[in-house]
Amino acid sequence: MRNFLSSRKWAYALSLLSIVISEFVMVQFPNLLGNFTNTLQTHHLSRAVVLHYSFLLLVVGVLYVLLYGFGQLRNGQLGRQFEYELRRRLFEHWESLSTAYFRKRSIGDLLNHALNDVRTVREALSGGLNILTNALFLLTATLIMTFRTVSPKLTLVSMIPLVFLPLFVIWWGPRIRNASRRAQEALSDMADLTEESISAIRLVKATANEHIEAHRFERRVDVIVRRQMSVFRQSAMFQSIIPFLGSISFSIALLYGGYLTITGQIHLGGFVAFTLYLAMIIQPLQQMGFVFNQFQRASASLARLEVLFSEMPDITNPENPVEVDIQGAVTVSLPKFRYPDGDRDALANVSFTAAAGETIGIVGRTGAGKTTLVNLLPRIFDPPAGSVFVDGHDVRTLRLETLREAIAYVPQDGFLFSTTIRENIGFSKENATEEEIIRAAQSASFWNEIEEFPEGLDTVVGERGVSLSGGQKQRAAIARAFLKDAPILILDDSLSAVDMNTEKRIIAAIRELRQGKTTIIIAHRLSAIRHADQILVLDDGTLLEQGTHEELLAHSGIYASMVALQEGEEALA
Amino acid sequence: MSTNDVTKRPSASFQSLLRLLPYAKPFRMHFILVMVLVVIFNGTNVLQPWLVKVAIDRDLSTANPQIHGLVVISALYVGSVVIGVVANYFQILVLQFSGQSIIRTIRLDLFRHIERQSMGFFDTNAIGRLVTNVSSDTETVSQFFTNFFLSMIRDGLSLVMIVVAMFELNVRIASYAMVLIPLLFLISLLFRKQLRQRYQRTRTRLSNIVAFLAENLAGIRIIQIFHQEKRQARHFNVLNTAHREANVAEYQLSVIFNRTFELLGNAAVAAIVWIGGIAVLHHTILFGTLYAFISYIRQFFQPINSITQQWNTLQSSMVAADRIGQVLMVEPTVVDPPQPAVVSDEELEGQVEFRNVSFGYKADRPVLRHIDFTVRPGQLIGVVGATGAGKSSVMSLLTRFYDPNEGQIVIDGMDIRRLSQVDLHRIVGLIQQDVYLFSGTIADNIRIFRQEISDDEVVEAARMVGAHEMISRLPQGYQTMLYGKGANLSMGERQLIAFARIVALNPRILILDEATANLDSQTEELVSQGLQAVSHNRTTLVIAHRLATIRSADLILVLDKGRIVERGTHESLLALGGLYADLHAKSGIEYKPEETVHPMRRS
Repeated sequence: MRNFLSSRKWAYALSLLSIVISEFVMVQFPNLLGNFTNTLQTHHLSRAVVLHYSFLLLVVGVLYVLLYGFGQLRNGQLGRQFEYELRRRLFEHWESLSTAYFRKRSIGDLLNHALNDVRTVREALSGGLNILTNALFLLTATLIMTFRTVSPKLTLVSMIPLVFLPLFVIWWGPRIRNASRRAQEALSDMADLTEESISAIRLVKATANEHIEAHRFERRVDVIVRRQMSVFRQSAMFQSIIPFLGSISFSIALLYGGYLTITGQIHLGGFVAFTLYLAMIIQPLQQMGFVFNQFQRASASLARLEVLFSEMPDITNPENPVEVDIQGAVTVSLPKFRYPDGDRDALANVSFTAAAGETIGIVGRTGAGKTTLVNLLPRIFDPPAGSVFVDGHDVRTLRLETLREAIAYVPQDGFLFSTTIRENIGFSKENATEEEIIRAAQSASFWNEIEEFPEGLDTVVGERGVSLSGGQKQRAAIARAFLKDAPILILDDSLSAVDMNTEKRIIAAIRELRQGKTTIIIAHRLSAIRHADQILVLDDGTLLEQGTHEELLAHSGIYASMVALQEGEEALA
Repeated sequence: MSTNDVTKRPSASFQSLLRLLPYAKPFRMHFILVMVLVVIFNGTNVLQPWLVKVAIDRDLSTANPQIHGLVVISALYVGSVVIGVVANYFQILVLQFSGQSIIRTIRLDLFRHIERQSMGFFDTNAIGRLVTNVSSDTETVSQFFTNFFLSMIRDGLSLVMIVVAMFELNVRIASYAMVLIPLLFLISLLFRKQLRQRYQRTRTRLSNIVAFLAENLAGIRIIQIFHQEKRQARHFNVLNTAHREANVAEYQLSVIFNRTFELLGNAAVAAIVWIGGIAVLHHTILFGTLYAFISYIRQFFQPINSITQQWNTLQSSMVAADRIGQVLMVEPTVVDPPQPAVVSDEELEGQVEFRNVSFGYKADRPVLRHIDFTVRPGQLIGVVGATGAGKSSVMSLLTRFYDPNEGQIVIDGMDIRRLSQVDLHRIVGLIQQDVYLFSGTIADNIRIFRQEISDDEVVEAARMVGAHEMISRLPQGYQTMLYGKGANLSMGERQLIAFARIVALNPRILILDEATANLDSQTEELVSQGLQAVSHNRTTLVIAHRLATIRSADLILVLDKGRIVERGTHESLLALGGLYADLHAKSGIEYKPEETVHPMRRS
């Protein structure tokens, strides 16, 4: 914020200067009309004089509009530039933060910062600044003019009520802010309840509980109405007091100025000009109140943004990273792992070693810790020091880029971006050739279907494009990982939505493509890991069984029973 | 937040706003009062320059000025200001109260309407979208009833009053001033289309930013693992720049538009001074009249400015009203009969029959075909089959989440379509695989916020399913707040709560969709005991994922591709040597040692 302002100080100086000058032009307006009145009073008025004055008024009017318009335009542009830069920095900052950070926050909340907080700051910085400059200098210019050309006495006396204006604003502003914060809270309460209720709609319907839900909803809505009304009461008072004070000023001017005129201490022209001056500054004073509010809100938004920016990436490069060419040997020797925000260990006593080029299968129930385990490898979550090693080096001592460069990952949900299939598959390699992309798609058994899309590789995925099936998404994500061709490949239950034949083809492709490279496969369907060099069976965060398919079958433990159960189910399907 | 990224639909029109007009009807007296208050406020505003004119012409510029008249005028001035301010204060309150009450009603209607929809509606409408409809679209629409309405009344009236006052003062000069009106219209017309286009372009580009951010924040892990931070930042920059450009372009035009108006206003003052000055010169008007004219001309522009600013309000209100209207227009596909049959709990037996039922979520894709079975009161039947065989659809039909395409579902001889849905859901209870928990206390989650279920009954229900101990161990016991949809409970604990809930509601017929989630052995024990307690004394349909659960069921239905392929008891099905026997043989090795699995028994 400060950086931005200081780097643009000349631009701001220029636009503010232009507004300031425009105000000094503007205050000539009443002055001209006052002089005009005086000429009229002294019977020196002629056609030429009338023409002269109206021409001067026109010049003042045009000049003011041009100068003020210029300043306003420049400030607005600067504010929008600021908005742009703030969003840019915010996104880049977010990109540097770890998954642990995003686990704690809702995306809606973050979007709120990126949209509303940024906009609030911008509004204060462009519109608010315009109005504030306008108001302050109009006031100054007016005071100078009235002191010089009308009467210092009249100015002092009739401006007395206006002294209370800023005081009132400072006293009342926070009350409105508090009230609207509470109203906002009530609003989000209601939105939360709505979401909760609709998510649980099956339960609500199955228990004929609609009326109870409606009642709960109604209570939230009533709170909103109450709190909103309190906001409106506060702000109605605010909006009434300010013009009221202005009008008191005006009445004093009328009475005392009139008296001065009658007693001949000022000319009628001076009186006329003075009333016009007052009329001119009441609106800016009123706006000053709004601007004050705007600045209050903006400072709150800015504070929230600063909190965001002050969040330091917790998974960072080590100070003196070990430089290696990663081959893909993986060693895990984990006494325990707990999520930063967790209250129990997600993993305990998990140890295994995989030589470079081996295939590891991981099985276990939902929540057994499979994903957690593989997430430690690319440091999506940071393992404790000395527990996860790649090629014999603690992953925490490697350069983050080197480490992640060496790992290809297929997430559970096959997350894709809503761009083209080409861009999704080529995500890891910006200048991937068409050939490479096609080959990756073929290996992932996805190419045949891509060919059938009218737009082929340029088919847009997601919201505004073709919506892919779960299996297609998974295969696109697999192709993306294939293209990366990294020493270590992790498939996190990425075959759950493809049918058995496709799964077989993909597994065959993996065995061929991944020769000499390390592959870690998490699977529910055991057929996917049958051929692994080593199978790990996790349960409740601990490693229960470990060995090849045959060894584990012979052991007749959990793995063996899982195999039997699945074969049974497959017979049914 | 996301209301701001309205992608405008071509059907958005004033019509959709008019359709919401009946909501304002109960407040027509309020709106009339607002109008009266606005008239008072505007009247005092118009009066003020006139008072000054009187002061100038009568008291100040005469040969022998008098202070007495000035005092009277000043007093009148203060009086008019006080009246105006008070009127304005109450106008704000009355109008906002009406606006808030209108959204309140719209929100309640919308919420009730959404909850009334059949399950098919929720299959096709995203929750986030519905929440936006309820929370922000209503807010936007209310601006139509407050800001827009007020502007039309207040600013429209101001214009009329100013024009009338000018004609009162001097017809000739006033008619000259009227030249402004076509000019203003012309300028507005010239700018309007461009203004709207630029406004919408900015909106669209902002919503692109939102969509990009939402997606990339959700996929931040992928970006980081694939190490594509720079590339995504570049993408973002393209969208961000496009938005900035549109935003600046929109702003520029609106500044030019507003300054053009102001320029016209200033030119008008110069013209009035010229025309009026000549008139004063020829003594056709007094100087005070000229003064008043200058004030009026300046006042004239304020309402016009304000009205043009309401344009955006109108636009966004129309879009929001359109979206609300589209939700309100949907009629639930499952409806109550006009005169529902009356059922008394005492006479209820709990016999369930499916008579030749066929069903598909889409007409051309049957999920169930000719399903025919009977469950006698108090019996327990199990439904087994592979994923996608149609087990869950059986459950959805009995609860009337959907209506069958063919055939009948009958409880105690009565087609369930003859019952009101409230009655049906009182009779038929459901335990789903996923346990939904509300943010609230454990007790509230068991009684699902029903006041008529007492604390004692809650505890009793929890005791029956064996959840009492678990709950008592929690620091606040039954008053423990569940946050984040029960994130502070384990899977098994959540299931026990769901069981307790059913016991508290006490339906005659129970459908139990067995959870597939694997539980640790301790809770598995607890849960299977809970299951038995729940099925006790009820007609129970179990959708089983573990054969052991239904071994002693009175009847087992084996579903395959939407048909019942086998039926019978565990023993008879084994003897049959078909699909069930096959399945049973292959699952011979139980995942859990046999002893810990409690088959559900008849009591």
